[in-house]
Amino acid sequence: MDMKKVMRDYFLDLDQAAKDPERKVAWCTSVGPAEILRAMGFEVFFPENHGAMLGATRMCMDTIPKANAFGYSPDICSYLTSDVGAYLKGITPLTKAYGIESIPRPDILVYNTNQCKDVMHWFEYFAREFDAPIFGIHPPTNVPEVEESHIADVVKQFEELIGVLEKLQGRRMQPEDLQRTCALSKEATDLWAEVLETAMARPSPLSFFDSTIYMGPIVVLRGTEVARDYYRVLLADLKIRVAAKVAAVPGESKRIYWDGMPIWGRLRSMSELFKENQACVVASTYCNSWIFTDFNPQDPLPSMAYAYIKIFINRNDQYKEDYIRKLVGEYEIDGVIFHDAKTCPNNSNSQYNLPSRLRDEGIPAVVINGDLCDLRCFSDEQSATVIEAFVETL
Amino acid sequence: MDAGHLYWGVDCGSTQIKVVACDGDGKIVHKHIGRTLFPLMEHVREVLSGRDTDLTPLTDDGKTVKDNHTVVATGYGRKHIDFAQGTLTEISAHFLGAQELLQLDGPYTIVDIGGQDSKVIEVHDGRVGQFVINRKCAAGTGAFIEELAHRLEVKLEDLTDLARAHDKEMVLNSYCTVFSGQEVIKILMHGERLENLIQALYASVVQRILEMTNITTETVVFSGGVMNYNPVLIDLFKQALPDNKTHLVENAQYCGAYGAALFARGLAEKQIKRFSQSEINAELTS
Repeated sequence: MDMKKVMRDYFLDLDQAAKDPERKVAWCTSVGPAEILRAMGFEVFFPENHGAMLGATRMCMDTIPKANAFGYSPDICSYLTSDVGAYLKGITPLTKAYGIESIPRPDILVYNTNQCKDVMHWFEYFAREFDAPIFGIHPPTNVPEVEESHIADVVKQFEELIGVLEKLQGRRMQPEDLQRTCALSKEATDLWAEVLETAMARPSPLSFFDSTIYMGPIVVLRGTEVARDYYRVLLADLKIRVAAKVAAVPGESKRIYWDGMPIWGRLRSMSELFKENQACVVASTYCNSWIFTDFNPQDPLPSMAYAYIKIFINRNDQYKEDYIRKLVGEYEIDGVIFHDAKTCPNNSNSQYNLPSRLRDEGIPAVVINGDLCDLRCFSDEQSATVIEAFVETL
Repeated sequence: MDAGHLYWGVDCGSTQIKVVACDGDGKIVHKHIGRTLFPLMEHVREVLSGRDTDLTPLTDDGKTVKDNHTVVATGYGRKHIDFAQGTLTEISAHFLGAQELLQLDGPYTIVDIGGQDSKVIEVHDGRVGQFVINRKCAAGTGAFIEELAHRLEVKLEDLTDLARAHDKEMVLNSYCTVFSGQEVIKILMHGERLENLIQALYASVVQRILEMTNITTETVVFSGGVMNYNPVLIDLFKQALPDNKTHLVENAQYCGAYGAALFARGLAEKQIKRFSQSEINAELTS
């Protein structure tokens, strides 16, 4: 299956849905309850994916300043400022990519603060702008372990959300619909986990920079057959590459773990830099964030609550340290690069001494300063020097 | 390697281009420095030649390296030195230079302050261990000193004498160059002596470096041009690190270029015309 076609079909259908009075569009955060929205017949748009597109195309460098001037600080989430700025300027990367004039108008906006609270401010802006209803899931955050009370709390919020969606759609949720989307999500996410695990092979058939592209469907098409089918094909292809020892980085000699956000506007140059140095980023916190193997179609709401609370970004620092250490072993990592993203402290795990603790255990670690979108916070030269010097010393 | 072979290191920094050539014994036979100006390559070629145009490692067209020379580039501009047969980062270059010049046995920490960045490099067992570079901010770099000197209308060469004439210890609070500039103006408006302010700005640079990471080794080595031209920084580091043994690398501004030249000598033994980054990494970790 062609990735470009999968994404094109998704966005074109979303555009059609937004223009069709018979169909409804929900906006959802990237680790929000997409399965519930799809089970209730909503087409789902993910503004973070749009933010990443603004970053990758570097359109954000025109849109972030617009949002800053409007009153959104340069220090807050640059997905938010990229996206709000794009709206204020009346532009979207969807136009050049797919001929789509604008982002789809929401009938409801649903966020989950399991990743950060900036998504709440972001969605609140658009809820005001479109005069659309908004619903927030507020799970317990920074948890060491997920407890029964946490699950019960989030299940209750899911049930309230379902009530709101039922009113909007004028019909009741059918349990089998939720079981179906939950099952499809689980299949896709299990396949996504297997896709990422092919990077345990030496040489790895894919790098972090490939995975940030491959991850499109697991972010925007969870709960659909398309996502499941896409990852079946991708996994089969990667298995062939593993068997044939096809390397994502020819001559792979060092294996790197990447923590934190991608630097969307520099994916290509970063990929080239690592290739030049025969270093392959084989595992990452970021791409692993869409593995929800705990989904259980027979028990959808509690299992979804558990899986969405359990995500890395929503855990305490000890969990994060243990998690990275485990992956360092499993993927035979030579060194860990922490991306300290200026506007994304929630997904920058270098700020509370974690690199030092890893170094104390003999795991080489280094920090680069940058950002997911805002290239004003990034120095190509300095980052290249740090990364090259790090590889030189491994 | 033939006896007449020369090994060149070109350290293309943000403010200065430093060039060192050494012979097969690692003896420095040529060193020269020039400002980083543009067009870059024109100025790099000029600095390579120095006063003796016959000495250049480049062929007459200035684009390729003569047979009995090997050139390795380092510094921020390293990737732009198109005739260089290999590149390595300043971190490795300063380590190689300091190691050769000081021949230290035990672990040590190199503090290198450059025009636009500062590095703290830990060396253990004759290899670079962990290192840190300043964040994307001029505080704690030569640019900070230059900017504030410009703001105070003081020549760079006068800074040392002025600082040594201070009669009061002061602290600049801000770590932002612009905010520090504003802070300095405000303090001057209150009638403070210029000498005390300049001492405070040096102290601020030292403080920023010490905030980057803990120095855990007994021995500390100072390298880089900013250290070389601003001895007050050394005094302040010694005050801040009273229990550490400290060394200033001889001709500290050339330390990175010398390290690159020594690395060129190692590469030349492989008889390869141009080295890939992976070959360089392999050489560094061998």
